Amino acid sequence: MVSNVALYILRRSINAVITLILLLLLLFVLLHTIVRTPVGLARIICGNPHCSNSAIQEIISKQGLANPLWVQFFAYISNVFHGNLGTDTLYKPETELYVLSKFLPITIELVLTGSIIGVLIGIYTGAIAAANRNRYQDYIVKVVYLTTWSAPLFLVGFVAQLIFAYWLNLLPATQIANPFLPVPRVITGAPLVDSLLDGDWTYFYSVVQHLILPALAIAVAGFGITTRLTRASMIDALDRDYVKLAYMKGLSKNKVVWGTAFRNALIPIITLIALTFALAVGGAVIIEDVFSYYGMGYFTVQAIYNFDYNAILAVTLIVGIAVILANLVADLLYAVADPRVRLT
Amino acid sequence: MGFQKSFLDHILRKPIQSSGSQVTAEVVSETPSTKAKTAPKEGLRFYLNFFMRDKPAFVAIFIIGLFLAWGVLEAFMQELASLLHQPSYGWALLPSNPFALTFGAKLEPPSLKDFPYFLFGTNQNGQSILSRILFAAPHDVEAPIVVVGSAVLIGMFLGTAAGYFGGWTDEVIMRLTDAFLSLPALILAITVGVLLGTSVGGFDAILVALMVVWWPVYTRFFRAQALSIRERGYVESSKLSGSNPLRILIRHIIPNSIDPIIAYMTLDFGTVILFLSSLAFLGIGVSITYPEWGAESSLGLTFFPEYWWYAIIPGVVIGVIVVVFTLVGDRLQDLISGRISY
Repeated sequence: MVSNVALYILRRSINAVITLILLLLLLFVLLHTIVRTPVGLARIICGNPHCSNSAIQEIISKQGLANPLWVQFFAYISNVFHGNLGTDTLYKPETELYVLSKFLPITIELVLTGSIIGVLIGIYTGAIAAANRNRYQDYIVKVVYLTTWSAPLFLVGFVAQLIFAYWLNLLPATQIANPFLPVPRVITGAPLVDSLLDGDWTYFYSVVQHLILPALAIAVAGFGITTRLTRASMIDALDRDYVKLAYMKGLSKNKVVWGTAFRNALIPIITLIALTFALAVGGAVIIEDVFSYYGMGYFTVQAIYNFDYNAILAVTLIVGIAVILANLVADLLYAVADPRVRLT
Repeated sequence: MGFQKSFLDHILRKPIQSSGSQVTAEVVSETPSTKAKTAPKEGLRFYLNFFMRDKPAFVAIFIIGLFLAWGVLEAFMQELASLLHQPSYGWALLPSNPFALTFGAKLEPPSLKDFPYFLFGTNQNGQSILSRILFAAPHDVEAPIVVVGSAVLIGMFLGTAAGYFGGWTDEVIMRLTDAFLSLPALILAITVGVLLGTSVGGFDAILVALMVVWWPVYTRFFRAQALSIRERGYVESSKLSGSNPLRILIRHIIPNSIDPIIAYMTLDFGTVILFLSSLAFLGIGVSITYPEWGAESSLGLTFFPEYWWYAIIPGVVIGVIVVVFTLVGDRLQDLISGRISY
């Protein structure tokens, strides 16, 4: 059995690498179907619309843009595995990887905080709604998830800012932390963790204050889908024969709902963890734009406005790797949670 | 006397009803509402019956109908305007010209004054926000139909094949799907939209970006359905009786997997509108000549929070449209899976 699991993990890891290479191929094909000439590609790599002709020729010969496509693809893959994703237009001398390493931890912190809050609340409320089907709890949960799920994320951000920041004056509306505070030593890059490790409590307090609103907005992005699916899956589970058997054995409703049905209902939801994470990362782009939260999403929006293709491709790649890892974890958890899943 | 008798009956019956589960069951079984329970759960009449009884769903269907009808009508007017080279036909049905500059009425809050014009307030150019929202509606009708339609077709083809045949077919298709799904939909749509922005541009870039993004989820759905259905008895028996795989796919797998997906599709109509507005909010596929709900909201960000309606009202309109699609999709899902009956 153990070797079976090990084999499964190995197989999934190999699959993850294949997926990664397919992702690279996808991006490569996308770029080359949209921008077809070497000169056009060189303009993109140059990152400056007024690039001189000699500079363009130099880039073409240097990067081998006139080579056959398969040669370029292998060069691209080797570049990616060497961590060479090009230079950024806005932060000129710096490479993409360096710039992203500054922005990424901030977004990861925000996304993880937000999606964990969202998923936990979502699973709990979904299970409650299913257990009390067609009672007032169900209706309340339904109304809440309908509105939060349907509202565009920027609206959620706006309303949160308007109410909590401008009308009630409870929390700050924008930025990561109070800009007048001295920044703690950079260790991981994530402000919350850094200030904790540095023991800078005033900065930590400020970061938490600034984190609450965007994290809640991101939680809203993951909350709706989780509640919906937990409720549906829980209702399915509650209709099954083993639940009837559990009732017949004389177990209390609480025990049946949380002990029997809930554990079985959780299985399909595990596959959604990766989806929720992906949703939250996508949502972070909008939320960070609304809240001026200087993470990767903000960086992406700036790249969109500047037509900075290098940056957008780099962001896509990094996010892709993160989500592939999340998928791997979800699949492994799925296999652990449901013994019926064949580990092949 | 008659009244008294029925009144007495009512009083006498009340305590009996609430005491003892057996009696309750008998009383309930007499009421006409249970007659529908035995009615067949398909056909137009059943659905009509359902939506007439379900008040929220009825209101939602009404709003959806209004939205679709307005979108088609306005699209027709705009087509007419571009065919006849008379731009003013495009806003003939609107309260005002959505592009005219009226500097006397800059950033007015929503009010009932001058009725439809100031209903949603005005923007920094004095244009009625209501007019701009109504003018932008056709795009939000077109996008979900095109995107969800293409996604269902691709997903049905690839997903059922992958789920039913398994082996290498499954492996290849699912790795491809994983490659697409390994990116958050919004990020992939942004990438495709920005890259396409140079060559295609405008709304078509958004449409293509959404189509590229949308199919993998449906492929997964159809695959999961096919995986569970192929183990069922009727598929086994069909296989034993010598049907070829194509017949099994068309006769058994696809018809049985499509029911839960219909509800999801309705839900997805709203999601496409959400994505469309999110992309527009980020400035992808936006043009000055055509307003977009998300883009309007994004323009309002500059004037936030003093002139809050500029940013918030387009968002609320998007939210309302998405809510009604979600509501109907939700009810449909309950209905199809037999969780509720009327």
